[in-house]
Amino acid sequence: MKYFLLIAAFNTIILIACNNANSTTSKSENNVETKKETPVQETNTTTPVKDILTGYIQLKNALIADNGSDAAAAGNSMVGAFQKFDKSILAGNQKKTYEDVEDDAREHAEHIGKNGGNITHQREHFDMLSKDVYELVKAFNAGQALYQDSCPMYNGGKGATWLSETKEIKNPYFGKKMPSCGMVTEELK
Amino acid sequence: MSLIKKILLGFLIVMMAIQFIQPARNKNGQVMPTDISKTVNVPGNVLAVFKTACYDCHSNNTRYPWYVNIQPVGWMLAHHVKEGKEELNFSEFGSYSARRQISKLRSIENSIRDGSMPLGSYTIIHRNAQLTKEEKALIINWARLAKDSLFNRK
Repeated sequence: MKYFLLIAAFNTIILIACNNANSTTSKSENNVETKKETPVQETNTTTPVKDILTGYIQLKNALIADNGSDAAAAGNSMVGAFQKFDKSILAGNQKKTYEDVEDDAREHAEHIGKNGGNITHQREHFDMLSKDVYELVKAFNAGQALYQDSCPMYNGGKGATWLSETKEIKNPYFGKKMPSCGMVTEELK
Repeated sequence: MSLIKKILLGFLIVMMAIQFIQPARNKNGQVMPTDISKTVNVPGNVLAVFKTACYDCHSNNTRYPWYVNIQPVGWMLAHHVKEGKEELNFSEFGSYSARRQISKLRSIENSIRDGSMPLGSYTIIHRNAQLTKEEKALIINWARLAKDSLFNRK
């Protein structure tokens, strides 16, 4: 009987110890996980041009889907992003690039916003806007994986570029007519 | 007095009253230092087309027709000129950022090619602003050259 009690006590101690050990390991696993997540989130939020870029990606995806009204909404949200942008904190090359690009890019976004019923016209402005956003991303970093793609056929054969978050080609200039026309010309990080 | 007569009289009074509200004229008279001709080369034949077909709405100098004095026609005209100048003002072209200048030239080329400019509602009254095929080609070629020259300057 004495032994039985001893064994029982011993078992409980072991069980408790094991439990503790388990919970500590699972805790440390959690820590590792959160540590892994933070840097990804950071890079996603640190770029000051994030809102502009988000609007641009939305716009690009709407054009891929031949959806003029969604493109217009995305254009308008880009206009909002430019209005909200705090350029007073900028200096050096970033300031120069932003000031150089701002008026032009905002105007393209405005036109895209106003021309929900004219996707051809939206695409003309998207072509010019893409160059502006490229400059911004170059100066500020994308904060996410981004590719510059090129469509050699647009513009009567002169070609046009765009930025995409996916490596796979989805053409915003011709939409469903020619979805896979184009190639990746640069990988931006 | 019958109701119809009252309404007509009221309308007449309103119409007379609004004649006194004349919007400011868009007439500067001088070539600004920011004029497009000071930024890029604009040959005489291109400028002639601009003056007849574009400058009424896209510069600081509008040639006003007589009916601008009749309201609300004059107001509508003033509104058109304001909108036109917001989009593109040849008199202030030089004040645009380099990027915007290039974009504007691209847009000139595009809008002439697809016929969205000059506006149909404008050329229906100003028949001489309707561009011939040759005039269109002239403007398109000029816009391309001007764009390239700006691009190389950048």
